[in-house]
Amino acid sequence: MTALPRRTLVDLGVALVALALVALVLEIWTSAFRVPPYLVPSPSSIAVRLWTDAAMFAREAAITVAEASGGFVVGTTTAFVAAALMAQSRFLERTLFPIAILVKLTPIVAVAPLFTLWFGFGTGPKIAIAALITFFPMLVNSFVGLRSADAQELAFLQTLGASRSEIFRMLRVPSALPFLFSGARISLNLALIGAVIAEWTGADRGLGRVIFVANANLDLTALFGAVLTLAAIGIAANAAVGAAERRVLHWHPIVVTT
Amino acid sequence: MGPAIQLSGVSTTYGATPVVVDVDLEVAAGEVVALVGRSGAGKTTILRLVAGLIAPTSGTVRLLGAAPEVARRQKRLGLVVQDARLHPWRTVLENVRLPLEVNRTTQVNGQVTPARWLERVGVADAAGAYPHQLSGGMRQRVALARALVVDPEVLLMDEPLASLDELTREDLRVELLRMWQLKPRSVLYVTHDVQEAVLMADQVAVLAGRPARIIANVPITLPRPRPATLRRDPAFHDLVERVRAHLA
Repeated sequence: MTALPRRTLVDLGVALVALALVALVLEIWTSAFRVPPYLVPSPSSIAVRLWTDAAMFAREAAITVAEASGGFVVGTTTAFVAAALMAQSRFLERTLFPIAILVKLTPIVAVAPLFTLWFGFGTGPKIAIAALITFFPMLVNSFVGLRSADAQELAFLQTLGASRSEIFRMLRVPSALPFLFSGARISLNLALIGAVIAEWTGADRGLGRVIFVANANLDLTALFGAVLTLAAIGIAANAAVGAAERRVLHWHPIVVTT
Repeated sequence: MGPAIQLSGVSTTYGATPVVVDVDLEVAAGEVVALVGRSGAGKTTILRLVAGLIAPTSGTVRLLGAAPEVARRQKRLGLVVQDARLHPWRTVLENVRLPLEVNRTTQVNGQVTPARWLERVGVADAAGAYPHQLSGGMRQRVALARALVVDPEVLLMDEPLASLDELTREDLRVELLRMWQLKPRSVLYVTHDVQEAVLMADQVAVLAGRPARIIANVPITLPRPRPATLRRDPAFHDLVERVRAHLA
């Protein structure tokens, strides 16, 4: 366990060096060939823009993060409850799963403007879109996870007269935890994308709005600045889930060996 | 006092396929009955029938004179499976405490604490370890401790030693015999190992055929306590050969 932070630091270092190399190549290319900034802005100009407009990026990012978090919580909670119901009864599995597929197959870009039309320009529709996009991966992961409980351990609890709720709490939920964490990883990134797409189709604030406006004005340093801010948030969110996973799943062989 | 386990004319199917047919099986109080048969013969199915985890399509299952559900609710039933995974998120001691945490409304008559049980099965040193840190033999010892912590009258064992190496298996056989000597329990012991069946049991029931039925009952008249040297006894070999003849 003590070796982990050090490895994380090394990983982070390698990633930063790789990013710096890409930036360096872009920097040389854009200045050597005089690439116009409305086509590809130089990394240094993006960095300057991020620095000078830091307050703006932070303010807009906070809004997007709030929407994505709200959507993540609503979407994953709903998904877990649905999965728990499905894991308890074949009938519910057969009735709920087609609905879940329908939700999944609905293109977010198609319903995002609709949500704006229905619910206005506020945070509500953004949370709804983010929730919608996180729902399915979390549903599948929760369902498979809850069903992954070891059959022999299940039999053991049953021979002791354990109730369904005891089996759920003591065996099914802990068995599902590794799956819930992979679901959370996927869903967190999707929630951010969902919030940005939702802002794109009609919002007065947020990183999605920044990207939309920057695109319209060919203000590419702002556009890439927003994208990089988004990437940083995504990486931080993943790291947070990873840290939580290592804490919660310390008993899990996979966590122990990686 | 009636028999601990009584199956009368029990049949069950998997889908439309009959798995076991017309099984009569009785385990008297304090008696160890081994159920032998080839892999896939339906031994585990019978165990699950006894525990009431599956219902028979015909016939009756009585456990301690009542329906299996009653004995389960009263925590009078212990189960030891092959290669027990335990609850990987619980330490060894927490795993042994688990049976006391479920179905709390039922008072157990077990006077022996989980920690004491770990000592008895020889894994007290690993109390704070997690299951993935244990060897297969240690996991099976923990599985035994957690089955016995409620002091069940009936113990169902499903190939409890099958996934262990020969030496560990030998050690655990001796310890099981010693434990039954200290306190007799009614045991249904499922195994495919004929020698093990003869060594452990008071009676060996042979399961064979497709669908499976009990084709023979061989009483094991060897005296107890049974020492490890019993394997060199000609009487032991005669019994092994008799059981094996039914399986051939």
